[in-house]
Amino acid sequence: MQLNMDRPGVTIFLQGNAALARGALEAGVDYATSYPGSPTVEILELLAQVARQCGFYAEWSVNEKVAVEGAAAASLAGLRALAITKADGLNVALDFLTCLGLTGVRGGLVLVVGDDPSGHSSVKEEDTRFLARVAHLPVLEPTTPQEAKEMVGVAFRLSEHLAQPVVLRTVTRICHAGGNVTLGPLPQERRRPSLGTEDRFICVPRQHLQQEQKLREAAKLAEAWNLVSYEGPAKAETLIVASGPGLLYAREAVKRLQRQDQVGLVGLKMVWPLPETVLQRYLQVARRVLVVEEIEPFIEEQIAALIGRNAGEWPLLRLYGRKDNTIAGSFGGGCGELTPDLVRAALTTILGLSAPEETGFRTEFRPPERELAFCAGCPHRASFWALQSAIALDGRRAVVLGDIGCYTLGRGRSGYRVLHTVHAMGSGLGLASGFGKLKEWNWERPTVAVLGDSTFYHAALPALINALYNRSDLLLVIFDNETTAMTGHQPHPGREVDARGEPAKPVSLEQILHGLGVPLKIQDPYDVRSSMRAIYRALKEEDVRALILRGPCALLRDRKLAQLRTYVDQMRCLGEGCGCNVFCSRVWACPANRWDGLRGKAYIDETLCTGCGACAQLCPAGAIRTEGGEAPWREG
Amino acid sequence: MPPKGPLHLQKEVLQVEQCTGCGLCAGLCPYFNVVDERVALTSTCGLSEGLCYEVCPRTPTDWELIDRTVFGAPRQDHVLGHWQGLYYARAGEAAPAIEGKQYGGTVTALVAFALTQGLAHGALLTSGLPGDFPVPVLARTMDEVLAAAGSKYSATPTLQALVGAMRDGLGSMVVVGRPCQVLAVRKLQSVKRRTPVTNLTAGTKLFLLGLFCFWALSSAFYERFLPSKLNPLEVTRLDLPPYELVVSTPKGELRLPVDELRPLIRPACEVCFDPTAEFADLTVGSTEDDPRWNTLLARSALGSELLEAATAAGWLEVRPYPADRVHLLREAVARKKRRVVTGPAGPPPYLFLQEAYHRGVVAAEEESGCS
Repeated sequence: MQLNMDRPGVTIFLQGNAALARGALEAGVDYATSYPGSPTVEILELLAQVARQCGFYAEWSVNEKVAVEGAAAASLAGLRALAITKADGLNVALDFLTCLGLTGVRGGLVLVVGDDPSGHSSVKEEDTRFLARVAHLPVLEPTTPQEAKEMVGVAFRLSEHLAQPVVLRTVTRICHAGGNVTLGPLPQERRRPSLGTEDRFICVPRQHLQQEQKLREAAKLAEAWNLVSYEGPAKAETLIVASGPGLLYAREAVKRLQRQDQVGLVGLKMVWPLPETVLQRYLQVARRVLVVEEIEPFIEEQIAALIGRNAGEWPLLRLYGRKDNTIAGSFGGGCGELTPDLVRAALTTILGLSAPEETGFRTEFRPPERELAFCAGCPHRASFWALQSAIALDGRRAVVLGDIGCYTLGRGRSGYRVLHTVHAMGSGLGLASGFGKLKEWNWERPTVAVLGDSTFYHAALPALINALYNRSDLLLVIFDNETTAMTGHQPHPGREVDARGEPAKPVSLEQILHGLGVPLKIQDPYDVRSSMRAIYRALKEEDVRALILRGPCALLRDRKLAQLRTYVDQMRCLGEGCGCNVFCSRVWACPANRWDGLRGKAYIDETLCTGCGACAQLCPAGAIRTEGGEAPWREG
Repeated sequence: MPPKGPLHLQKEVLQVEQCTGCGLCAGLCPYFNVVDERVALTSTCGLSEGLCYEVCPRTPTDWELIDRTVFGAPRQDHVLGHWQGLYYARAGEAAPAIEGKQYGGTVTALVAFALTQGLAHGALLTSGLPGDFPVPVLARTMDEVLAAAGSKYSATPTLQALVGAMRDGLGSMVVVGRPCQVLAVRKLQSVKRRTPVTNLTAGTKLFLLGLFCFWALSSAFYERFLPSKLNPLEVTRLDLPPYELVVSTPKGELRLPVDELRPLIRPACEVCFDPTAEFADLTVGSTEDDPRWNTLLARSALGSELLEAATAAGWLEVRPYPADRVHLLREAVARKKRRVVTGPAGPPPYLFLQEAYHRGVVAAEEESGCS
């Protein structure tokens, strides 16, 4: 199935992200940019696949700020532009975005932002709506894949109507859910870029007033554009205001509790600015209101303010939601992702009903809790082993600043708990720049920044330059797996291809570091002892220095080309009699290193093993054997 | 005494700078690692008992017990230990030319002889650039042996490669090592329990070729001292004739008084009781007299056999030790031993001497007339 198939009226099953991409196609997007981040990563991947064919542009940008700037450029030239980020990514673009919100735009500019309630694949559960509010941008939020697709077009029209960027906020449960989507027509005409002689987009403080006017206009449009829905009795004393997947959970709760004739349900598709005129109609007859929304009590607080402004005119009204823990959230205390059960429990409480019965969806057998761990043959496992060993050998208790990528797992057992900090993209290096100055307090612990290749391009340079200029002492270790692995191997500026699979001009890590005058060594992480020595020696040096541990992501290596067949010689494995205490499967813990509990010996799952040969260097019994290729690091 | 393991080793040896850098623990175990002559327990295995503790040359060692295990009897000579012959030796005419030899080339000639005659299938030696940390090598060819010629003055962890070489099925090997390394190998060989690792050692014939060693340099020598004097990459040769360090470069020689090196002596060496590798099959050292020759002690039957074969084949040339120099050697050794045994803090914790051994050392000291 092609995403760009031209069959209006046909209904197909699409993932939420695919529906958003299709929505962009139907809206005639001209220019699409993104930096990969869950849960929205597939949107640009899908768009890039058909971009050339459909005659629009798509790129993986170096980071979200540049992505939004690139899309904004297209918009200022009158084109329809789409920038896609995850919530954390919008932070990176925020400085520019708050300015863009002042100058406004020309062509439709839509920012699709994926929030990740409970942070399933993020370091935090951030609520984008607050950022949009800071930048004075309207926010739309879909409830189903179908609505997600339609909403892209609505967002473009709204953006053009207001000459203001529009945020389409979505959440993991929409992005990754599937649903029936009825296709619309694809545009036949393409736009041409233009910039009028009088067009100026220069940010000044006075434009604040225009921003507020635009937001008032947006709120007015909500009803005419059907951005608020209502279902239930004409006058409901019990009201639920819901958005996103919360609307589905609320609808289900009302239905299961059989309160359709009693409870009114307002669905907000425009979540900022609050469509006050429509809402007011329902609020002024209600006695209790439950707000159901993802992550923060954003709508809830707007409604509280609205009630406050109408105090004395409306009958007394009690507000329930996350703030008072009626919506407990899966983390408790009003935090964490919504579930249908949590919403039903909340509705049960405010209706004064007895405790809800189980939904029947709960599974008796929960899958075993599994740690986050590096894949079989991952170069990062070898890198972290070398790093933790080198730090122990060095003995000065180096401080290791982590970053965002697969190697974030270095905080856990899979990375031998080496990392002291994990924050935002590139922040490890900024922190390292600071820790590296603590020598002025006679702090003698070495500073190590660990970050990946894609993260280096994304956000490392200013921190690196800062460290150089201010003569900080730090060792930058780049875990270079030659891709953006965590989000599914999107190309980055070090690669020879771009998002559309066309030739790109690779920007070499080495050349950047050489250009900055950073002493650099490059090391194969699978040669574990050499890596250990390289890190140990680098720890002893001063000033800013770098080590690239370069090994391609194990998931990208062609298994058929695997150099080495690796197996455990059952005669050599000393099993429980060895002093290693099950080193390979327990400590090294590559998923391919397995333990045969019945025989009390190690073995290798050759379907998982990638033949990296690292464990063979470490097995103290020499029982892990390799054959069929060159392993340059093998002793002897 | 309850069995001990890695955490005890860390506390009793590593943390108190008693590690000699022999490398055996790192060869036995992935939880110990060594880089640039620094040994550390880099992660914990979770076991309370381990070979690591049992074989370390700086965990408590009963000297007489090792004598009995290796030579079958307690020693009579409390200065030089067991020995069958004391010689001046050097590479013979049948041996290949040894470019990098320090003195008579005795070690290189013996190793090369054992390898070419098929008496050994490999040899644990040290090699590397002269200005950088020496690296352990498992030499299997004449070229590799010749490339490793010449003394190294730091604590190269050669034994890291020992267990791996045994595992790879080398039936016999020459191990050239410092006295502490010879002791470590003897302790490994004498582990009574049948463990998988000791099974391995039982199947491998080892010629232990010990070196005279009164102290080794700490890693600070290569890390800081040498770079502070010149560019280490330019060093072509290091030599430590008595009382000075000679660093050769293409630009010339840098001569430094040995006193400058004193602060760089590995702390563990200060309490070394065994400067002559008493448990080796053969021990080789300088003569401090004639740079064309080495001192050679034949200790075990195995050592004497190798010596006789090499001499008969013309690979090694020996002559009697000059009678007037024997007492100099004995005095130097006795002085070192006495310092260790009768130091203000008493004998170091690793050294367990039966009464006769203790008396023997003190008596030997008196006989030598040193005070």
